[in-house]
Amino acid sequence: MAPERLAFVCPRFAGDGAVGGAETLLKNLAARAARLGFAVDFLTTCAQSHYTWDNTLPPGRKTIDGMDVHFFPVDERNTADFLRIQQAIDRGHPVPPGDELHWLRNGVCSTALMAHLDRHAAGYRAILTGPYLFGLAWFAATAHPGKTLLIPCLHDEPFARLACMKRLFDEVAGCLFNSLAERELAAELFGIPDERSRIVGMGLDPFDADPAAFAARRGLSAPYVLYSGRREPLKGTPLLCDYLNTFRERTRRDIHLVFTGSGAIDAPPSLRPHLLDAGFVSEQEKHDAMAGALAFIHPSVNESFGIVLLEAFLAGTPGLVHAQSRVLVQQCRAANAGFWFRHYPDFETQLLFLLDHPDARAELGKRGRDFVAREYAWPAIEQKFIQALDALRPVRSSPEHPQPQPKGTP
Amino acid sequence: MTDTPALSIGAPGFDVDRLVADLQATVDRKMADGLYADARVARAERTNLVHLRASDDFIAFYLTCLREAVFVDISDYEIHERRRFLGPLLVAFKKTVWKLLKFYTYRLWSQQNQVNGLVVTALEGMEDQTASKLAALEQRIAELEAQTRPHGS
Repeated sequence: MAPERLAFVCPRFAGDGAVGGAETLLKNLAARAARLGFAVDFLTTCAQSHYTWDNTLPPGRKTIDGMDVHFFPVDERNTADFLRIQQAIDRGHPVPPGDELHWLRNGVCSTALMAHLDRHAAGYRAILTGPYLFGLAWFAATAHPGKTLLIPCLHDEPFARLACMKRLFDEVAGCLFNSLAERELAAELFGIPDERSRIVGMGLDPFDADPAAFAARRGLSAPYVLYSGRREPLKGTPLLCDYLNTFRERTRRDIHLVFTGSGAIDAPPSLRPHLLDAGFVSEQEKHDAMAGALAFIHPSVNESFGIVLLEAFLAGTPGLVHAQSRVLVQQCRAANAGFWFRHYPDFETQLLFLLDHPDARAELGKRGRDFVAREYAWPAIEQKFIQALDALRPVRSSPEHPQPQPKGTP
Repeated sequence: MTDTPALSIGAPGFDVDRLVADLQATVDRKMADGLYADARVARAERTNLVHLRASDDFIAFYLTCLREAVFVDISDYEIHERRRFLGPLLVAFKKTVWKLLKFYTYRLWSQQNQVNGLVVTALEGMEDQTASKLAALEQRIAELEAQTRPHGS
């Protein structure tokens, strides 16, 4: 009997030059599905940058990690219109439905990918797509809603309050959330009942890390805190720089700030001598950096999962997260392995606590490691994934829906 | 840091919820005592203000920090030079330039200080006004609710 086919649709393929939590999650989930015996088509674009969406990879098909990865070119975009509407949405201004679709069409879309999906949709048991706010995922989902399981990676942000997003969540066969907090947010915003969704997330493979290796390699003699991922205002990295600079000035404690990942760092000049930008590093070096850090700091309030926080837990390092991020707070609570700060005074007190209580830090680290090893082991996630496929049964037929139009108008 | 709550590591009841609550209670007490009324804290919160909208007390606290930051002292500007080569010479040169420019910059500086002071005073006034108006409205609502509540409930 031929294996059942699954399609994963994602704007970028995580790998060299393209890193993003949602992309990594979809790729890893797809690879695991392939290992479980599904025939997996991973449909993505030739773009690597989520700023320009330039077609930098050649179109075509490759076999990667047991999946057939299909790269399709991104349609031409009207960037000016896209940015104009995006700015209006971001500022909370009302946007007409036509403009919402125009914004989606000029974000990232691929007519070639949609044509492929239309030709092969009948053969797929399910189409899994995300994140929710990209045109590619939106059009794929609304073209074949009965087959679609949305992996939204939902954040509490103005885009989630658009009418088109309500329609997306209403129409798809079901949703695969990454956390309980994300599911609760979807229930608040769209009234998604629990029976139409499952919490799956992503598994993490255990790893060995040497807590002393990173500091030795990089010549760090003082304790350091770490942030890994994209550096941008939405991720809260300017806040982290401001806080650590103030921490150093007020407490006179010598503590360094280490970044891995990509993007510009907006740091005060007085912090720069105590800041190490390691840039892109290997997985092993990232894990070593995590294991040796006093704490992993995640200042973002817009997270649906927080993979790097779980990786830091697995490295035995406690987390310090922003209290406004309910997903990250929930992870710290569930793991018993991190603190959450409302403002700078909290941050200062909690960081001092970790510096001055190595036993407590070690206990938090141990609890985090045990929690992730237990709850986020791949076999547990695979089981949840299979149960979600069975329970949500994406089988309804597809009604008529708008299609992305290259160089489209509202 | 000595003013932190006692903690039993590894105890069965050890949980971060309680620990965070204890640490936050310590912070709240220190904030009330004015230990964070510091211009550096106001600067550090520049990107966090948007997340603190819902907090009743924070704006008042932030204004206290701002009050500490509002008057800039033109004389306390320290000139540093990280370059080793000719470093002391460069510092001396910059200090001379700085002193010569003071004649021109002082007027601008003092005007800016006046504006800063007026803006913070205005903000404090608005905050006080709004807070007292809200308190009066809340009291009025409570009285009206008490009047309309059915007897015996």
